[in-house]
Amino acid sequence: MSSQVQFPKEFYQLMEELQVVDFVLVELTLYLDTHPEDYAAIQQFNEASYHRRILVPKVEQYMGPLQQFGHSYSGYPWNWNQAPWPWQI
Amino acid sequence: MHMNEFTQQKYYRPYVSPFDPCPPIRVKSYVTPPQLYLGYQPYNLPQYQPQQALYAGTLWPALFSPYNGRYWGREEA
Repeated sequence: MSSQVQFPKEFYQLMEELQVVDFVLVELTLYLDTHPEDYAAIQQFNEASYHRRILVPKVEQYMGPLQQFGHSYSGYPWNWNQAPWPWQI
Repeated sequence: MHMNEFTQQKYYRPYVSPFDPCPPIRVKSYVTPPQLYLGYQPYNLPQYQPQQALYAGTLWPALFSPYNGRYWGREEA
């Protein structure tokens, strides 16, 4: 019986930081769709994307793979389908 | 119309018939968010801090449109 997962406080800070970065990326993606030559926004987008690539492995240490099909490494055992899911944390 | 002169919520008085079976809703309102007045979004609008943007629901204060819940049944002029 898998024990109930308890996340430390740092995880929640990291997760919120990831949510913040993801939201900025969503907003900038939509903005850049209509403003393709906005160089400052593209720079901001790339900075946020770089920041996200640094952040995701840290979150995945606590939570396991966030994406599948090779976009995230797997822990042992193969546990991508175990709780908690992102909306359950 | 200058950007900060518009209101985000507008009200109207629906027609109330003497034969209405239920108590009338005299005043109703609808939301008019900033993008209705903005058209093509200008470049380099000031931005919220990322943390604040997540809670505000938008990266740009100019587009912020709060939801205040109470919509109708208010006795507005």
